[in-house]
Amino acid sequence: MAGVDGDTRQRILEATYVCVARWGLSKTTVEDAARQAGLSRATVYRYFPGGRDELVDAVVSWQYLRFFGRLYEEVHGATSLEEVLERGLLFARRQLLEHEVLQMVVQTEPEVLLPKLTVETNRTVGLISGFLVPYLHEHGLPEGLEVHEAADFLARMILSYISAPGRWDLADPEQVRTLVRVELLPGVVGDTQIVDK
Amino acid sequence: MGIVHLALVRDEDRDPDARREPDTGGATPQRVRLADAALRCIAGQGIAKTTLDDVARAAGCSRATVYRVFPGGKDGLMAAVIDTEVARFFSALAVRMGAAGNLEDVLVVGMHEAAVRITEHPGLSYLFDHEPEVVLPHLAFSHMDSLLDVSGTFTAPFLGRWLDHDEAKRVAEWAARVVISHLLCPADGVDLTDEARVRRLVRTFILPSGGTLTADGAERPAADAGRIDRLSHSQRSTKGEAS
Repeated sequence: MAGVDGDTRQRILEATYVCVARWGLSKTTVEDAARQAGLSRATVYRYFPGGRDELVDAVVSWQYLRFFGRLYEEVHGATSLEEVLERGLLFARRQLLEHEVLQMVVQTEPEVLLPKLTVETNRTVGLISGFLVPYLHEHGLPEGLEVHEAADFLARMILSYISAPGRWDLADPEQVRTLVRVELLPGVVGDTQIVDK
Repeated sequence: MGIVHLALVRDEDRDPDARREPDTGGATPQRVRLADAALRCIAGQGIAKTTLDDVARAAGCSRATVYRVFPGGKDGLMAAVIDTEVARFFSALAVRMGAAGNLEDVLVVGMHEAAVRITEHPGLSYLFDHEPEVVLPHLAFSHMDSLLDVSGTFTAPFLGRWLDHDEAKRVAEWAARVVISHLLCPADGVDLTDEARVRRLVRTFILPSGGTLTADGAERPAADAGRIDRLSHSQRSTKGEAS
């Protein structure tokens, strides 16, 4: 039963996403999502009692988690902190630029999307930071630096670079390598830990 | 209409009145007086609900006066609010950073002052709490890139006393990024309005690289300085080719 429920919920989310890609976040209605999913409005409301707003929030969360799920897939086999950071930044930035629906909504409805994304970002700092903790432990930290403090700093910086790289070109592996070694690693691993590969 | 519309930063140069405080006896203090009245309205009820009547009432003048000074109406008035506040923000930062005596202090006082001014800004606090859709789009993606660029360009000369030009720009942008990130998404126990906390952040995460990059390199072990210098050179040359 739970499996069937999950499938229906997922089907509604996917249908809503198709609608968002077509019409944007603001114009997508429960009716649209229901029609696209081949379900009744009542069924959609059963899964999303908050209606349109809840549905749209759920789609943003779902896509957001998918984005970071892919990022996790990309980096989880990495053997060092440097590798995690370099591969993660390259991959995430490319994904973000290639995400057509995201790019469209960022252009056309930033006022709707950004408040939702900010909520998601606050959760994600914790997720990324938790993922980095074992790598930091393995690396060793400078004296007086707590692992969670280091992980939190790295996590928020990663999110910041992905969203707005500023002067860095994150499509260029050489620049990413420099960025990681100059702005991310020195504080958290101490000078002596950074060795040329 | 965005509160942090950075194109408007440029308007300060064209319109010196926007920088002037109301009581300095400038040619048109009216502009600033109205901008300040508008800011009080925004701090109390946000941008959407603020009307030109509200602003006229808050400034103690007629609606006609508001229109005479701002023929463009609300948009022009909001642009003046941004101009005035941006100018005040950067002036305050300049005063603090200009007085700092070393690289650590210039970063600490700059980041601290920025955090305090943004956190305690009456208009911004209201908008973050009640009209986030107005502010947040300006703090992400390409708008955030512009904001980093403006902040970095403004801050770099203050770091230029200790860092060479490109490193100053890089570290300036980095410091701006750290401040904005912590303000948008506060970390447990990291309150940037606490100067001691900012100092710890600067010492822990920024100076280990930033200090290495000082022009004289005196504060750092020579071997490390050489290594990271080389890295920073490769970054510089890449940027050079791109521009």
